[in-house]
Amino acid sequence: MAEVGQGVFTPQVFYRDPLAALHWLEAAFGFETSLVVTGEDGAVGHAAMTYEGSEFDIGGEWASPELIAEAAMKSPVSLGGAGTQFVRVNLKAGLDAHCERARAAGARITQEPTDQFYGARVYRALDLEGHVWTFQQVIAELSLDDMAKASGLSLRTKL
Amino acid sequence: MSEVVRPSLSSGVYYRDPRAALKWLEEAFGFEPVMVVTNEDGTIGHSEMRFGDGMIMVGREWDDRHKSPASIGGVNTQAIHVLVQADIDACFERAKDRGAVVLREPADQFYGERTFMVADPEGHVWSFGQTLRPMSHAEMEKAAPGVTIRERL
Repeated sequence: MAEVGQGVFTPQVFYRDPLAALHWLEAAFGFETSLVVTGEDGAVGHAAMTYEGSEFDIGGEWASPELIAEAAMKSPVSLGGAGTQFVRVNLKAGLDAHCERARAAGARITQEPTDQFYGARVYRALDLEGHVWTFQQVIAELSLDDMAKASGLSLRTKL
Repeated sequence: MSEVVRPSLSSGVYYRDPRAALKWLEEAFGFEPVMVVTNEDGTIGHSEMRFGDGMIMVGREWDDRHKSPASIGGVNTQAIHVLVQADIDACFERAKDRGAVVLREPADQFYGERTFMVADPEGHVWSFGQTLRPMSHAEMEKAAPGVTIRERL
């Protein structure tokens, strides 16, 4: 299989201050800004960042009964820290150094780098507005059976 | 299991009832479960679904930071855009038939995509798009006066 996940699902992450988020995510997590769309008022309406060839969107908080009926998009900072999704980032190498860079840039590390039963080393961080990001680096290729043995959990490929 | 290939980014979506969500996402959107991790009490701890070459994770809400929109008044802090290769209107009809809440009917956008937007039974917002005509950023700027598009900060 060729490169997987390129563009089928694009995460959209909403911020109170999207411009500040772009700067912060570049500095802390090493993502690259790939698109910044500004309107006549100079405000960032839409933006995109890339990491290792995958793209995700950065947007502002918004609601619009005409455009999206009753839906509303908000930052965790407006919801007492609650979030409805997170983004997982697969690093090829350097997980611990990545974590230190993020910490130095102000990320709140909620789970320090730790080896997991499913064969990955993982850390978890909150960004400047409280979105949850998990970073993982594969350290062993395990089958579902291996993972089940290591954890005592049931792992299946069907519901 | 075939070769494991992981996308460099994937979204994890929180639900009050992940088991119902897995079923609904399969029926309404055609996503396929590829891994379901069940706790000893029978609840779903973690799961992964694929659609084409894309992957998402479906999990349960578990503390004040990890909530379904159904638990916080329908608000979303993140959403997902799904790129389909063909038949976007058929995708829309299928989702609607399975009870998706229609937020925006399929419509052509100035940036060369046909899109629609729906909410799932717990209020997560999903937008779907099909590329009608690949456009350069210069062409998009022409199509939307007043809008400026740059490729860096």
